Amino acid sequence: MSAVALPEIPPARARGESLWRKAARKFARDRLGMVALGVVLAYFVAAVGVWLGWWAMGWPDLTGTKWEAVSGTHWFGTNIIGQDIFDRAIYSTATAFEVGLIVALVATAIGAILGGFAGFFAGTWIDEVLVWLMGVLDAIPFYLFVAAVAYALTDNPWAMHVAMISTFWVGTGRLIRGEVIKLRGMEYVEAAHSIGVPEVVIIFRHILPNTSHILLVQASVMFVGAIKAEVILSFLGLGIKDGMSWGLMIDESTKEVLAGFYNNFLAASLLMFGLVMAFNAVADALQDALDPRKVG
Amino acid sequence: MEILQYALRKLLGGLPLIVGVTLVSFALMVYFGPDMTYLLLGKNPTPEQILEVRQQLGYDQPFLQRYLGFLREIVTLDFGVASTGEPVTALLAKTIPVSLILILPGFILGHVVGLLMALAAAYWRGRWLDKLIMAVAVTGMSISFLIVIIGFQIVLSSSDGLDLFPVRGWNSTSLGSYLTYVTVPTLATMFVALGYETRFYRSIIVEEMSRDHVRTARAFGLPESRIFFRNILKNCLIPIITRIMFSIPQVAIGGALLIESYFGIPGVGKATYEAIITGDQPVLKAVVSLTAILFVLVVVLTDILYRAVDPRVTIE
Repeated sequence: MSAVALPEIPPARARGESLWRKAARKFARDRLGMVALGVVLAYFVAAVGVWLGWWAMGWPDLTGTKWEAVSGTHWFGTNIIGQDIFDRAIYSTATAFEVGLIVALVATAIGAILGGFAGFFAGTWIDEVLVWLMGVLDAIPFYLFVAAVAYALTDNPWAMHVAMISTFWVGTGRLIRGEVIKLRGMEYVEAAHSIGVPEVVIIFRHILPNTSHILLVQASVMFVGAIKAEVILSFLGLGIKDGMSWGLMIDESTKEVLAGFYNNFLAASLLMFGLVMAFNAVADALQDALDPRKVG
Repeated sequence: MEILQYALRKLLGGLPLIVGVTLVSFALMVYFGPDMTYLLLGKNPTPEQILEVRQQLGYDQPFLQRYLGFLREIVTLDFGVASTGEPVTALLAKTIPVSLILILPGFILGHVVGLLMALAAAYWRGRWLDKLIMAVAVTGMSISFLIVIIGFQIVLSSSDGLDLFPVRGWNSTSLGSYLTYVTVPTLATMFVALGYETRFYRSIIVEEMSRDHVRTARAFGLPESRIFFRNILKNCLIPIITRIMFSIPQVAIGGALLIESYFGIPGVGKATYEAIITGDQPVLKAVVSLTAILFVLVVVLTDILYRAVDPRVTIE
């Protein structure tokens, strides 16, 4: 009996590419996305340098006279009392990352956990309470909520972060809830149930990891949202209390702008615009790369 | 009649939401909020005076009783007196109309122009016009509202720019002065809304355009305009209505707060901002609870509108 030449079946792993590897491949081909990622990384390096104390430490010092023009010593000129605008703008980059990262990470975690529980227990009182909570937080005007939290925490410097986190998680929570409702009906979850895996383990080990693509995109959207909210809140006097931020720089610059001096305003707004624009582009590219309906 | 019953049932369903919002705002702003005792007292108060004021403010009562008192104020629309000595209801009656005529033009223009740009982008999807519109939209989304306001002010109102409109302030006694004061805020609100609206509308239109029934209609040779209005646009109505309705409470407070405090326009946003800064609780209470009620009304109204545009939505 002659041997029948069976067609070689490649192992399943090599054939089926994982979601993340595929996304990385798609992302690497997205030229705009890669450029934007480079820009974000450059900002991040600037922020890390501030955290390590390498540069921009002289932001509160009076190093010049009022409204100096752009020069070798003052790259962006000086502000109304003679502080170096470049140092202040770079220091503010670190503030922006601090606010953006803290808010995005904590809010994403809360959104994932509460959204996951609501979705998994959809139809029970747990879900109803969580959905009610999301509705309540959506119905309170954001600025008033921030002010109210600031009162309740008696001018704690973290009041702004707490307020942003407690409202920002809602959007993620709703998305995750919808996705989990879809996932909990799938066979592998049923299988886990039938062999007696505890519900908490099912949620955290088997369901939530499958929503990580949504979480990543949501986190990047929230990062941008937090940076933009910080600028407006700091301008209104509800944001950053000590330190320096783009919002405080713009607040400072409103007096200068009316007198015809634009360096402070331009430095803060252009740097902020660059970071937000690049991060928006990264978020878009991520969304495209992680969308299985789009063929890469 | 059926609709009325449905609306009433929906309103009842919104009660837990109102209870939640008032509970959260009461807890944050009043119960854990700043102690108002010493603001109402003169210098060197005696312990008896302190006790009396605390009693007057209800600080000696338990949480639940104080919360019920808070609810009673909302139900009777009697929010007390603002720190300026003006009754809160009179303050709101004076400021809300200003905010409405300030915000409405920008709100409408933002949605209409956004929808038109989205239609153009979706119609020429993948072509240069689509790419241009989307690039402009993403750029617009990336600029902070605050920067847009200051930018428009510099370009349109300052002596370094075109110097066409007043720098700040408000006067709506005649149509002419209203138009000069409302233009810059309107352009700023429209500009900020445009990026978000265009992107959102484009994505839903593109999704509708790629549905099977649209392809079938095209295969049957229906005229393009008819397909566009009856098969595509009509099916987009539900997300469009949702979008517009749900942005009403946000725009009414959020948008007006920044615009009004920046331009010094005496609307409800500026009144709220001043109340935030000075800790004027009666005003904050009124604004928060009225916004929550507005939110619930919007939810109910949206559900009724769904039924009007989509016969598949039943009132069950």
